[in-house]
Amino acid sequence: MNKVQFEQLDETLYHEKLDNGLEVYILPKKGFSKTYATFTTKYGSIDNNFVPLGETEPIKVPDGIAHFLEHKMFEKEEGDIFQQFSKQGASANAFTSFTRTAYLFSATGMIQENVETLLDFVQEPYFTEKTVEKEKGIIAQEITMYDDQPDWRLYFGIIENLYKNHPVKIDIAGTVESIQDITAEHLYTCYHTFYHPSNMMLFIVGAVEPESMMAFVRENQAEKTFEEPADIQRIFPEEPVEAALKERTLEMSVQKPKVFVGIKPETVNLSGPQMLKHELAAQLAFELLFGRTSDFYHHAYESGLIDESYSFDYSLENGFGYALIGSDTQKPKELAEEIQNTVQRAQELWPFGQADLDRVRRKKIGFFLRALNSPEYIANQFTRYAFNDMNLFDVVPTLEALSVEDLQDAFYAICGESQRSVFTIVPPKKDSE
Amino acid sequence: MFQTINVAKGVNVHVNQTTQFKTINFSIRFKDKLTKEKASARSVLANVLQHSNEVYPSHTALRMVLDDLYGTSLYMDSTKRGNEHIVTLNVETVNDEYLSESGVLEKVMNLMYIVLFKPNFEAGLFKQSIFEREKSAIKERIESVFDEKTRYAQQRMLEHALPDHPASISPNGTIDDVESVTNELLVAEYRTMIEENEIEIYAVGDIQPETVASYIREFFHFGDREKPIAAPPLELKKPEEPHVREFEVMKQGKLHLAFYTPVTFKDEKFPIMQLMNGVLGGYAHSKLFVNIREKESMAYYVSSSYASQFGLLFVLAGIDANLEEKAVKLILEQLEEVKKGNITDTELDQTKALLTNQLKEALDSARGQIEIYDQYMELSDSFEPEDLIKRWKNVTKEDIAAVAQDISLEMTYFLSGKEEDSDE
Repeated sequence: MNKVQFEQLDETLYHEKLDNGLEVYILPKKGFSKTYATFTTKYGSIDNNFVPLGETEPIKVPDGIAHFLEHKMFEKEEGDIFQQFSKQGASANAFTSFTRTAYLFSATGMIQENVETLLDFVQEPYFTEKTVEKEKGIIAQEITMYDDQPDWRLYFGIIENLYKNHPVKIDIAGTVESIQDITAEHLYTCYHTFYHPSNMMLFIVGAVEPESMMAFVRENQAEKTFEEPADIQRIFPEEPVEAALKERTLEMSVQKPKVFVGIKPETVNLSGPQMLKHELAAQLAFELLFGRTSDFYHHAYESGLIDESYSFDYSLENGFGYALIGSDTQKPKELAEEIQNTVQRAQELWPFGQADLDRVRRKKIGFFLRALNSPEYIANQFTRYAFNDMNLFDVVPTLEALSVEDLQDAFYAICGESQRSVFTIVPPKKDSE
Repeated sequence: MFQTINVAKGVNVHVNQTTQFKTINFSIRFKDKLTKEKASARSVLANVLQHSNEVYPSHTALRMVLDDLYGTSLYMDSTKRGNEHIVTLNVETVNDEYLSESGVLEKVMNLMYIVLFKPNFEAGLFKQSIFEREKSAIKERIESVFDEKTRYAQQRMLEHALPDHPASISPNGTIDDVESVTNELLVAEYRTMIEENEIEIYAVGDIQPETVASYIREFFHFGDREKPIAAPPLELKKPEEPHVREFEVMKQGKLHLAFYTPVTFKDEKFPIMQLMNGVLGGYAHSKLFVNIREKESMAYYVSSSYASQFGLLFVLAGIDANLEEKAVKLILEQLEEVKKGNITDTELDQTKALLTNQLKEALDSARGQIEIYDQYMELSDSFEPEDLIKRWKNVTKEDIAAVAQDISLEMTYFLSGKEEDSDE
């Protein structure tokens, strides 16, 4: 077991890569009574075209299958695994993103039993045609619920605008129609390909004793047999740098329009320290351009162009990424224009210097330290970073090393005019009487 | 957990000195009576105060100072509990021990003082442009509820069931009442808040109780104030129309049921009602989830929640728009099972285990500690989580069945897309 100390942060991280390839991390938190654990596979909604384990030809699976599989993991021959967690006083849950599927629990007691349940239920698939059919009604309601949420539609709307071919444009849960094609056999194929321990990570944080917990996990894994780990072949289509669509509008039951300007980054094949540096630099650049202290925000808020729903964000994964800026607004056209002009102006004449960088850097460091109070943040973010060969605990040193030029470089990779798109949601037109 | 120091009549400082967190959290709560007019004015006030002040006259200037203080978060919000309206100044700052710089804490406390005591006045009124802008912001916030159909349905249901009752009054007030707030009225409301409201001040982090108390005494000058006369218990009138259907352009049907119970937060039987809610629909092992989601595949979400301040129990489900009747029937069947005492030992043990876990987990965040303490302080000055856990332990199935007897369905509300075959 390796032990890494982060003195400035007053944290110690324990790590071991088990014989079957599983990466295990343990982070004890002083003074906490709860323990939070995530068991995550590097498999999400974008992994819909791949060569199944042990085969040679690639296949395409129905949209929404990773999420469907997540739901079905909870059902076993002897019943629902939620029941077991409840007996052990744990709240369990799971989520599927573009790139990951995570199973998790939080509990204040019986931690070993709960870790065992977590490992065992994710490593013992049980799918039948009957249970698969039964789940379709539940997931159809989940999809319908999201269909009625304008903020979700806005988010997916802009991603669909930006991406022409990449599966990031497909809704994570699929559609009511696409999930009808899912079979138990599909689920087993995906499961065997992506749930091998060598494609997974276990992160335990909170009131946990590292030595005995690591021994317990090691033993649990040693008792199970797995096939030899193999490299997973995922297939992704060619994706142009340009946005697929310049703009699109959707009518929905909202009180006033909502708009997002999305920008696609030029470089999406980064990993490791390079990716960390780029992501943080881009986030700081966007903070300066669109944050609460920016000229843009000041004018847009005072003139009523944006309201409290305003948000901006930049995130990057391997193969795709996006900057999103938007708000509820009575003037979606003007707002979208103003956002694009702000990007354009910064591209022509970079307006920020050292003092600006120092200020937003401090803000970001403070945010990071605050986030370390949250076991949920640590486990989920650490895993996300690790799947991209980055280390969460390098955030502060990387921030400290950033220069104004780094921010400029990161920004220039995300600002080309052809990389932008606008998606708007508007209230339905009133029937003319 | 918290040490309490009284700094003036009606003004208390509660500090939990702990090294559990890397930050120090402050929460200053101003409590007043909940009415639509008060809620509206005080929401505008909260926004105006957090926007700018005499020392930092623009929003940008204030936010830049916060960024420089390692992204100290500072915001004000408007909430309610029972018939109280609460305006809170929330601040979280990094403990300087983790920084290469010290003195951050003093600067942050000084900033809290400035935000509350040095408003951006011009000739005795709030700066007009800011006043106008923040009035719009609150109206926009109230309007935006419509976009989130679950929240919107819940609000509509409460407005139909209990109009003008604190249960249905939004902590942000109403559009009309916000509209009629004048700058003069807002200044008066500000004076009332600072001079007359009951104030609870919380601090959680590595900070000494006396440090906080003496700072408050020295700089904040909160005078004595009278504790308001306790309001009479809130009465729950029967809704005029017990069954309401409304339509919007949407795909899913949102079913919201309201049940009344005589058991409220201050009742001896409160812990039993918490368990009853857990057995019925609080968790993934609960009857509603197991039967309506897992067995019938009818819903993705179906759950119950207990608003103990009012004695209200809600059941919410997202279902196919054609299945309203079937869903209501199934939900009532599950409640009937509880009333009959058809509760397994496992169900009871699971619910106790999860309630206990939930409480303990909430105490692992500074905000959670403040919320729970602020709420349970109403019951006793010396709230200990273990006492509540012990009370849950002793509850039996029979106890749960007994409190369930007095639960009555009073309101069925259904929000869905327009039915194609309905004649209007």
